Amino acid sequence: MVNVMKGILVECDPAMKQFLLHMDETEGLGRKFVIQDLDETHIFISAEILPVLRDRIDDLMDKLSFPLNEK
Amino acid sequence: MGGSKRDKREREEGRRSKKHKSDLDFDQYDVDEDSQDVESGGIPDAATRQVDESSSKEDEFGAKDYRKILDLKLDHSSRPLWVAPDGHIFLEAFSPVYNHAHDFLIAISEPVCRPSHIHEYKLTAYSLYAAVSVGLETKDIIEYLRRLCKTTLPSGIEEFIRLCTLSYGKVKLVLKHNKYYVESQHAEVVQKLLKDPVIQECRYRPELNDGENTDVIQESVTKPTSIQFNKPVTNGSSTTVPGTSTSSDPQAGPSGDDGGGTSDNTDTVPSDIFDYYDKMDNDEEEGEDLKTVSFEVKQDRIEDIQKRCIEIEYPLLAEYDFRNDTVNKDINIDLKPSTVLRPYQEKSLRKMFGNGRARSGVIVLPCGAGKTLVGVTAACTVRKRCLCLATSGVAVEQWRSQFKMWSTADDSMICRFTSDAKDKPIGCSICISTYSMLAHTNKRSWEAEKVMEWMQSQEWGIMVLDEVQTIPAKMFRRVLTIVNAHCKLGLTATLVREDDKIADLNFLIGPKLYEANWMELQNLGFIARVQCAEVWCPMTPEFYREYLTTKQQRKLLLYGMNPNKFRACQFLIKYHERRNDKIIVFSDNVFALKNYAKKLGKPYLYGPTTQGERLQILQNFQHNPKINTIFVSKVADTSFDLPEANVLIQISAHGGSRRQEAQRLGRILRAKKGAVAEEYNAFFYSLVSQDTMEMQYSLKRQRFLINQGYSYKVVTKFAGLEDEDLAYGTKQEQAQLLQEVIAASDQDAEEERIAGESQTGKSVFGKRVGSMSSMSGGDGSVYMDMKKSSNKHLHPLFKKFRK
Repeated sequence: MVNVMKGILVECDPAMKQFLLHMDETEGLGRKFVIQDLDETHIFISAEILPVLRDRIDDLMDKLSFPLNEK
Repeated sequence: MGGSKRDKREREEGRRSKKHKSDLDFDQYDVDEDSQDVESGGIPDAATRQVDESSSKEDEFGAKDYRKILDLKLDHSSRPLWVAPDGHIFLEAFSPVYNHAHDFLIAISEPVCRPSHIHEYKLTAYSLYAAVSVGLETKDIIEYLRRLCKTTLPSGIEEFIRLCTLSYGKVKLVLKHNKYYVESQHAEVVQKLLKDPVIQECRYRPELNDGENTDVIQESVTKPTSIQFNKPVTNGSSTTVPGTSTSSDPQAGPSGDDGGGTSDNTDTVPSDIFDYYDKMDNDEEEGEDLKTVSFEVKQDRIEDIQKRCIEIEYPLLAEYDFRNDTVNKDINIDLKPSTVLRPYQEKSLRKMFGNGRARSGVIVLPCGAGKTLVGVTAACTVRKRCLCLATSGVAVEQWRSQFKMWSTADDSMICRFTSDAKDKPIGCSICISTYSMLAHTNKRSWEAEKVMEWMQSQEWGIMVLDEVQTIPAKMFRRVLTIVNAHCKLGLTATLVREDDKIADLNFLIGPKLYEANWMELQNLGFIARVQCAEVWCPMTPEFYREYLTTKQQRKLLLYGMNPNKFRACQFLIKYHERRNDKIIVFSDNVFALKNYAKKLGKPYLYGPTTQGERLQILQNFQHNPKINTIFVSKVADTSFDLPEANVLIQISAHGGSRRQEAQRLGRILRAKKGAVAEEYNAFFYSLVSQDTMEMQYSLKRQRFLINQGYSYKVVTKFAGLEDEDLAYGTKQEQAQLLQEVIAASDQDAEEERIAGESQTGKSVFGKRVGSMSSMSGGDGSVYMDMKKSSNKHLHPLFKKFRK
């Protein structure tokens, strides 16, 4: 039987790929979403997770930045 | 600028301080490192006053619209200031009247941010207090501000200035002929004070029988002209008369070379700006007849009267009429004839001795700009017994050598009072010690006990407090109760603390008298021109994976040991060694420090390194052309004087401490010999592992320097990095390193802890040697991280990328 899954090819830097894998393994987004780990900078993930993942990455980036105009 | 949140917090603190106002018991103060609600007793209510922000409209981005409130003047383009109703002032640094406006704003407000073109200042109760205490008057402040402003002055601001300056600075506590007087130019204020029952008690009446003796002493004195620093110069042709130099001094310009431009543009500037400035300048500097009203107070009730005056909101400004002090004998020190003060040093001292008396206060100068010389000159001006307090034993040595270098003081006059110096301080003229030595509460040796007794019994002419921002208020207060000094001078480079306690200094020591502009000094070549760079090093996948799963404390280790960071560091070292630069590499994490240094075969220094070894390493660094790089931990943060170094690489740091960043930059700020002022002659690299918490810390740390006008260049890739032969190039090597890091103990993951003060050991110190031994200096400083406050308004440009 043939299974068809709709997915998205993600290209990112190696560290960010680790973040995605980490999210996948720990089910940080509620479920597994990585379909195939392709190479250093490419990964194939399921399409439905995209909006949640986006939020999550925004969160990460927010944590890393700091508004300079705050005292 | 996110002010509203802070304002609220300050108001809360104000309320808190009010609540605790009644108990002024010094011993109740907690060490402010760990307690959030330290009381701020001894600070008048008015100090916590805020500008009343009227309901101004804000657009969707948080920008405020003042068009309805303020009217633009017709000749607005030639006036340099915008005054916003929330107390922020914006100054055009390119304006022809920049010099005047800048001097004036420094006196009345706090600099917030000073990049190259527009400077931001803020009016605060403290800053106005400082303005009044250096002799500005309410009407002058308002009038001059009105003239400089492009628009009409917001009414709220005017009101605020009135409120804050109304009661401040009107009364002074003057020590004259060894009697204490409460003095004022305003008879009505003195009358008001005399009606207060507590003050009546404190008043000294020669004949108690004469109950009707309520007259006050009326005097008319000629205001003495200001003091000449470095007297020998007076004979020379290069004399600068303090009273006249300011207005004609083109040196203070933003770029130093616009002297010609200024005169060209004068005709476009409304003449009222210049007129008023000159008038104010004369007011302050020239001798003139003043009517003062004063009454004598009992010496033993000084404390009470000071407290009472704060309670009724007429804080007493302490002034010391040292030239008329006959009881304390003069000490015989002068500046050496060869000593030349730089213009900004003179300017700061002029604020301190503006009216021929010594005022207490804080002077802020960047590291490497010659703070010590300012302290030495102040001591030479007062010429009374002097006490210098520094943060560590090493700094004590440096002060001693600087005293000998700049002034005529010799070994017989200078004494060190530290745990291991063999000097006998009793009876000396200049005593140099550390804060912890004085505030020490445990048992001392018999000798030290004697010295302390002697110190307490003395009247000190001047007390110089080095690195004043580092001292916890508790220790500080203890020092102030032990030592009885007529005049206190605080010196610092970074008047910031992550816990916002800095304002308390205003009332513990005195107002901020002067704050130098870093960029200005840099442009004039007094401090090195530094290129700051933030180098982004991508985490390797293996390290990032470990970073994501590991617990918080160990993350520090992982981003510190990131192989890409190591490679970037190695690349930079190689690059700069080829240029014959001298490089210091800073790492707070000892594990990383040792690992890097061993791998690269470079010497390293940290807390436990022995004195002899330190000396050897540092001497080699200074003189051996083969040793161009040293690795140091945070022992070297402060008072570590290595004039040779011009490259600084930071691989791990203490969280988001603004002060540490500034102090470290200070290590390479000392002006380089023969440097061309046009190009960068020093480099500051901060290596940051991408996608980790370090990114956030790094931004936090930079705030102070950015506000001083520094900009960081972000480097994401070095050209030629691939061609270099660098360590950890292969996956295997990286994996091995990762294993090492994982195997490291939890203790390794921590930052180095340094005890309050360590021994300086050697007793013979030359100037060079003194600077070496700085290594031993535990710096007792504790860095802290501030609580993150939520950000409310951000312009969309700066909004984080969130939908």
